[in-house]
Amino acid sequence: MSWRLRWSFVWQVARKELLSTVRDRRALLSSILLPLLLIPLFTVGLPLLLTQALSGQGQERQKVGIIGTLPAALRARLTSDSATDVGVLLVPVSDPVKAVQDGSVQAVLKVTEPLPIRAGQRAATVQLYARLGNLKAESGVIGKVRGVLDAYNSALVAADLKRRGVPADFLTPVRVQTIDASRPQEAASGQLAFLVPMFLLQFILAGSMATAIDSTAGEKERGTLEVLLVSPIRRAEVVVGKLLATSAAALTSAGFGLIGLLISGLVSALLLRGGAGKVADRLNSGGLNSGGLGGQLSVTPGGLAALVLMALSAALLLSALLIAVSIFARSYKEAQTYITPITLLILLPAVALQFSDFIGRGPALYAVPVINAMVVILDIVKGVLDTPMALLAVAVNLIFTGLLVLLAVRSFGREQVIFRN
Amino acid sequence: MLQVENLSKSYGTFRALSGVTFSAQAGEVYGLLGPNGAGKTTLLRILATLLRPDSGTARVAGYDTQRQGEAVRRSVGVVNGGMGLYDRLSGREILRYFAGLYGMTPVQADVRIAELNGSLGLEGTLDTRAGSFSTGMKQKIVIARAVIHDPPVLILDEAASGLDVLARRALLDFVLDYRAAGRLVVYSTHVMSEVEEVCDRAAVLDRGELIAQGTVAELLAQTGQSSLERAFFSMLQGRAERLKEAGLEVTGLEVTR
Repeated sequence: MSWRLRWSFVWQVARKELLSTVRDRRALLSSILLPLLLIPLFTVGLPLLLTQALSGQGQERQKVGIIGTLPAALRARLTSDSATDVGVLLVPVSDPVKAVQDGSVQAVLKVTEPLPIRAGQRAATVQLYARLGNLKAESGVIGKVRGVLDAYNSALVAADLKRRGVPADFLTPVRVQTIDASRPQEAASGQLAFLVPMFLLQFILAGSMATAIDSTAGEKERGTLEVLLVSPIRRAEVVVGKLLATSAAALTSAGFGLIGLLISGLVSALLLRGGAGKVADRLNSGGLNSGGLGGQLSVTPGGLAALVLMALSAALLLSALLIAVSIFARSYKEAQTYITPITLLILLPAVALQFSDFIGRGPALYAVPVINAMVVILDIVKGVLDTPMALLAVAVNLIFTGLLVLLAVRSFGREQVIFRN
Repeated sequence: MLQVENLSKSYGTFRALSGVTFSAQAGEVYGLLGPNGAGKTTLLRILATLLRPDSGTARVAGYDTQRQGEAVRRSVGVVNGGMGLYDRLSGREILRYFAGLYGMTPVQADVRIAELNGSLGLEGTLDTRAGSFSTGMKQKIVIARAVIHDPPVLILDEAASGLDVLARRALLDFVLDYRAAGRLVVYSTHVMSEVEEVCDRAAVLDRGELIAQGTVAELLAQTGQSSLERAFFSMLQGRAERLKEAGLEVTGLEVTR
């Protein structure tokens, strides 16, 4: 078997596969439309909706059940509106757990002993029943009621201190001021920075999938692979041609993913204009920008170049993997079944990236194929790119790409694989 | 043009070909006859370098299939019964693609496509995507694809199966024209009438072994039958009986001791 590549043959295979992909509506949907829609939806749309829902809780008058008697001042604080929040509606209930569970109230305050009306009186406990762990309850009624109770406590203490002629800060002799010392990009990227590597890798996979399967298992199923292999083209040229086309499709998808991020930045700027000075900062910082819940993403031109290089190595690696796997399948459907676990290979580490602050960075991490791409992209987004580690990651991915290409070429030459059906 | 000597091939314990020997010349249509599973496709795939024999040799257009695979592939065109095409490419794009794979320039490809349009009548297929082709249109492009590089040897494996009368007629006419141009056509089928009509000589394969070969008249004479179909049955039946007499067990395609 000859391994010498004649690039005119490689290019012909790649061009034909790309032409076929461009004319495939499913491939266009997963490569172009999904990245353009999903990224803005997840980084802007959902966070905005969530933010709106959370902030709307303050303006909602929640029903709070009451058992026992509240001091008049506390009752007034709970039910009256403040500058930021509206008060709650107190309704008498008998069974606190049932009342919360059946939804007739969102929380219940149970007073089992007289509550103090002055500091220095015997401390007492009031029980608050609510759905703990429920985001709406936690961010709404629980926070609101706790806030009122804390304010009531402070007011009693402050009144007593004033009466005794003691300054109000008597109880807090040392105050703590926390200052963010992280890099501006890292600080700006926030909690959602991990979404970027996940999206990019997912779109690289989604973009490469249609071309990889169609050009291997699809050719086998149609009966065109046999005809292709009867032509004088070499197996290595077939594999490399298909790899280039698949990688190009993957990168196109990733490119549209990046465009989706840009759109996210612009949309959030438009939506939040006027109310957020930060948005202007985001747009003025240069490079690629995007906004979202808990963070804004900013990538410098240098970072963008590194991002493209990393995406390229990941696209080559995943494309080679998909081709090497799909050629074993007898049909398009069978190949999809084989590839499903590979999607988990991307998804699970991507989810784990949320806890990346707990993961030690070292050469071993950057030497793990695919995962290293996610880590490097996360580094780029956070502005903590370690160039030698990024180069190590690229080199590792290219080495594994080469090994998978060798495996694929060997498979294309094996009777048991080509004529498996 | 084609020399096959003592060719054998097994898939695990199943013996697909056993010591097959024959030769065929340019300017003839050589038929391969046999029931399903006789080894015809395996033999043709070895000739097209897609499979490697366990033993024996095959030379196509003077090139050894195992040592000069690329030269063999340049010398053969293959039509299999699958009619596989790229649905999202037009007939012209498919033909240009394969012309490129045979090292033809775009200009050479277009000249050849025009020639084939004249002989095969490719109107309606060249600028339409293959996904919308009828069976007849597919067949034309499949044949054109196989001979885009004008190979000296054309291999057809059950190429007429599934075709309607008109498409089958067109295929047989093309085979005769190709022979007339001095090429060798290896024509595999299990339809006797096709052999009678186009094949100058034929070999009969049964359970991987070549049990008879010659012109249609010679095959009839060997069995004393009046039609090739009867002769074919007679040969297969006679062989099965001889195998049983020799103490071998004949089950389906396999012969066991």
